[in-house]
Amino acid sequence: MEARVKADIQQHIVSTWLSGDERGFTDQTDLQESGILDSFSTLALIAFLDQTFSIQLEPADINAQTFRSVTTLTKLVMEKLARNGTEHAAK
Amino acid sequence: MRIDRLVTPWAKRAPDRLAIDGSDGTLTYGELDRLANQFAHALRASGVKPGDRVGVHVPRSGRTVAAMLGASRSGAVYVPLDPSSPPPRMKLVAQDCGLRHVVISPALLGNWLAAGVREPVEHFFLASEGAAPPGADPARVHPWSEVQAASAAPPEPAGDSPDELAYMLYTSGSTGVPKGVMISHRNALAFTEWAADEISLAETDRVASVAPFHFDLSVFDLWASLSRGATVVVVDESTVISGRRMVDRIQAKAITVWYSVPSALVLMLDDGGLAERGAASLRTVFFAGEVFPMKHLRRAMAALPQARFYNLFGPTETNVCLACEVAPPPSPEATAIPVGHPSCGDSVLIVDPEGRAVPDGEVGELLVEGPTVMLGYWDAGRRTPAKHPYPTGDLVSRRSDGELMYHGRRDHLVKIHGYRVELGEVEAALHSHPGIHEAIAMAVEQQLVAVAVPSDPQVSVLDVKRYCATRLPRYMVPSEVRLVEALPRTSSGKIDRVRTRTAYIGADWSLLRPAQRAEPRKES
Repeated sequence: MEARVKADIQQHIVSTWLSGDERGFTDQTDLQESGILDSFSTLALIAFLDQTFSIQLEPADINAQTFRSVTTLTKLVMEKLARNGTEHAAK
Repeated sequence: MRIDRLVTPWAKRAPDRLAIDGSDGTLTYGELDRLANQFAHALRASGVKPGDRVGVHVPRSGRTVAAMLGASRSGAVYVPLDPSSPPPRMKLVAQDCGLRHVVISPALLGNWLAAGVREPVEHFFLASEGAAPPGADPARVHPWSEVQAASAAPPEPAGDSPDELAYMLYTSGSTGVPKGVMISHRNALAFTEWAADEISLAETDRVASVAPFHFDLSVFDLWASLSRGATVVVVDESTVISGRRMVDRIQAKAITVWYSVPSALVLMLDDGGLAERGAASLRTVFFAGEVFPMKHLRRAMAALPQARFYNLFGPTETNVCLACEVAPPPSPEATAIPVGHPSCGDSVLIVDPEGRAVPDGEVGELLVEGPTVMLGYWDAGRRTPAKHPYPTGDLVSRRSDGELMYHGRRDHLVKIHGYRVELGEVEAALHSHPGIHEAIAMAVEQQLVAVAVPSDPQVSVLDVKRYCATRLPRYMVPSEVRLVEALPRTSSGKIDRVRTRTAYIGADWSLLRPAQRAEPRKES
């Protein structure tokens, strides 16, 4: 599951903001320092994550640490999915 | 009147009234007045002389405002610096206007020092309690306690004339070097007084501060509000990226007046639930900086039926020179609204390329004369007086009812989400990359696009973006980079911008063939 999430995020970033050129891009690449994320692409990325993984990112989830790299984004999505799972199980 | 004197009358009359409501704390008029005096004394004690430039590189807060006001009271010209700008660009600005003193946050000072930017700055004043970053020279870094220990008594007035230089706003320059727009007290206050009168701004108002301080929209938020005893509510950098957070802030703080680029309002509609949640406290919405797409303007006006909407227009060089209220909301058939008629005591001319006035209905360049026209540019260390009347480079036509319609630019200046971007500055950054042979930049539907010919097949899109991010503010980093084999040429051999743009928009990759790629070298 985690590997799928990571691959989906990585592929989306490469196709949307790197014109499909994956050279040099890894799950550790700093998305802010590399000029990929600004306020507008961050919003587009939030919308992509919400839709693709059926989660609802809250303002508290969105900061420079969680949006640092594909790895930190994957961690965030996995946490949200796990929390959703617990809520469903409780109902 | 002068900016440095605006706050004191209110500090005497109503010292406990809230002047700045920031996310990191509040300042009453009395506190703001005293803190500005302390900044002025501390700056003078370290050698600031009348007319010196003082940089202010701090995220938006009450202390940032006090620093600008204090610099002004010390007799200096304040220069607000973009907190999102990388240090090499700050160095260009610092060198251009000879900044010897900079008020700065500890984190941003860390960035300056890490990038080796010191000259020509001799004194850094920390704007918060944090410790100086490692490697800082203690003799040049003044801790926050030094400002707090300074006298809060009014300093000796430094200047008297409203025509002296008050502040400089650095904007994108076509040669790749940012240039400073020199604004006098009279220039700034001609606009803020007009705007405050137009909407009867009063002590009861709570005015949002959305725009960064290096952006001319902020001149209204700060100096119009503080001249009328209103409260400035800071909508900080982490809030303006979220529509939901912005609507939360408007509701929580009962904001009454809002001035931003249309993009921020669209964000509140798309991502903040503005239409469903409303914002009953808002009575005035000013927008400027870019064209407001009609469908979104109609949505915004429907979401805020109690608010009056105004379109304000003007380059940084003339602040606001045209304005009009949007009333009633544009009809379903309307494809554009006017940019307005002359405001702030300005007058305008619309001329053809030979400088002759054009008849109503015909498109020509907008020339502006009047009290808001800047003193001139501070460029490459020299002061260049403004041309009069000032040619804006904007193309407009006059309707029979006297309102002006906008028809674009005559040069390579574009707007990306309200920010001015000289394509030449982006191209200069691209050209300085050792692996790029040639490149052009263009704006396509609010996206900045670069088309580049690499000279080294190992150059990747990531390399180009990362390189730009170290030299340009974030909003000037191309969101899309296309690496191609060659750019189309005109018959005279120049890069054909029009055909490049058309080929890009039409995805015609026969004209823009992708460049050969090689795997990038392993980073060592």
